[in-house]
Amino acid sequence: MSGARNLWDNRLRADFRAALAVVALLAFVPLFVSSPYWLGVLIVSIYFALLSLGWNLLAGFTGQFSLAPAAFAMLGAYATGLLNYHLKAPLAIGIPAAIAGTALLGWLLGRIVLRLKGPYLALTTLSFAEIARVIIGNSYEFTRGDQGLNVPTLMQSRVGYYYLFLAVLLATLVALYFLMRARAGRFWLAIRDDATGAESRGIDVVRYKTLAFALSCAICGLAGSLYGTFSQLVSPELGLLLQTGLVISMVVIGGIGTLTGPVIGALLVYLSSEWLRSVGNIQLIVFSIVVIVFARFMRTGLWGLTR
Amino acid sequence: MSLLKAEGLTKHFGGVAAVDGLSLHVEDGEILGLIGPNGSGKTTALNLLSGFLAAERGTVWLEGEDVSGMTTVALARRGMLRMFQMTRVFPRISAYDNLLTAGLARGLAKRESEARAAALLEELTLSAVQYLDAGQLSGGQRKLLEFGMCFIAPPRLALLDEPFAAVHPVMRETMARFIRRRNEKGHAFLVVSHDMPIVVELCHRTACMNAGKLIAMGPTREVLKDPAVIEAYLGSGAHA
Repeated sequence: MSGARNLWDNRLRADFRAALAVVALLAFVPLFVSSPYWLGVLIVSIYFALLSLGWNLLAGFTGQFSLAPAAFAMLGAYATGLLNYHLKAPLAIGIPAAIAGTALLGWLLGRIVLRLKGPYLALTTLSFAEIARVIIGNSYEFTRGDQGLNVPTLMQSRVGYYYLFLAVLLATLVALYFLMRARAGRFWLAIRDDATGAESRGIDVVRYKTLAFALSCAICGLAGSLYGTFSQLVSPELGLLLQTGLVISMVVIGGIGTLTGPVIGALLVYLSSEWLRSVGNIQLIVFSIVVIVFARFMRTGLWGLTR
Repeated sequence: MSLLKAEGLTKHFGGVAAVDGLSLHVEDGEILGLIGPNGSGKTTALNLLSGFLAAERGTVWLEGEDVSGMTTVALARRGMLRMFQMTRVFPRISAYDNLLTAGLARGLAKRESEARAAALLEELTLSAVQYLDAGQLSGGQRKLLEFGMCFIAPPRLALLDEPFAAVHPVMRETMARFIRRRNEKGHAFLVVSHDMPIVVELCHRTACMNAGKLIAMGPTREVLKDPAVIEAYLGSGAHA
């Protein structure tokens, strides 16, 4: 693509408008879909869209390949659940605490992995994710372990939950749009493209990488916390590597480094995954093949095809 | 007081002294050339001066302030910017966005950065390719773009590592003209180069390194006639 359309502000604006159009379309879905089962599937799709946007901030915009988005969703869900279970904290405290707690943990993890790149960064975040999952699974006295932890619900209405998730998705997209338009967004792109070059221009790479880690983890923590209140039960399975694999598939298929890509990727992959469930438990095989095809032939994903 | 002064800079890689007790200075408004055969330690010296590497020994002062051990970011904020031998632009955003980002990184407001980016693209003859991703530009265009990124907020001192290497003569002249113009406005440069005609034409003084040590420093033409410099470049007996 050439011409002024290729300028970052213009690319981002077009991308944001498309993402808003997807959200607007989703807002009409409950008018046509009344099945609680399919509304539930759509809510989980939006949960994955949030995780995908969180992971994409780190991997797509900042170039930091983490394998811990699902782990941070699990930690967000447990933060809310445990605060209620042990301290009877209401969700009005539990949800913000999940966001703040995962942001802080993300910031710490960001500081630890600051100098790591490529496979080393991926392996370190994978280790963190697995350690967090195993600790939660084995701390029966504190977390109820593999039996799972009950979390209070925000509301009984499934349609209400659908619109709550959609509103959070919209707010996340708006926040990411303004961040990516601002100084921070441009610095993240610079770090993604060439961290040494960014440093030589005067960009504080340490500060902006850790900021990206903290924000990405906070988005995942918020998604996990809301998911916990929706499902009313959280278990260590929420943090399985398999879940992170799904998130990566969604972003790669939808279009990495964009706002619209992760959203359409999450919707397509999760809805197809539900459809494939009826064919047989072959989702992972299918998505792995699709990811290989996209990584090889369509690196910009589905959204990239429109550029 | 010198703009930049280094004394006794030393750095080893393994058992080899890449830079061995290097002392040099750059005066305000001066272009200092840094020459030497391959492997003489020029790029390591630049890495030490610009904070990319930590020196084992030695001190660096910028405008009288001891900046030894400071990070690259802190030095960039004090106006000492570095250009690399292998260009370091941001390949997946447009040439215009590269300049804009560099301006924001130097603390300019967005509007100011936009205005300066447009003017620099014109001056560097890059207007026709401003909307292309930097990764799509030719090697020479990338070097020009990196010049622009250095100068979007004028640095006190620009450290340029082989800016003329593998560049088309027309672009090389554009770069040389750019350096001359900026120097006339009072900007100082430390230029590492193997291109002797350009070094003679541009540099007020030149320093020559060999095997990590400074072997000569002075007015450019005198340094190029120095027997130690000739020997370092051409081998013993060359000046006989």
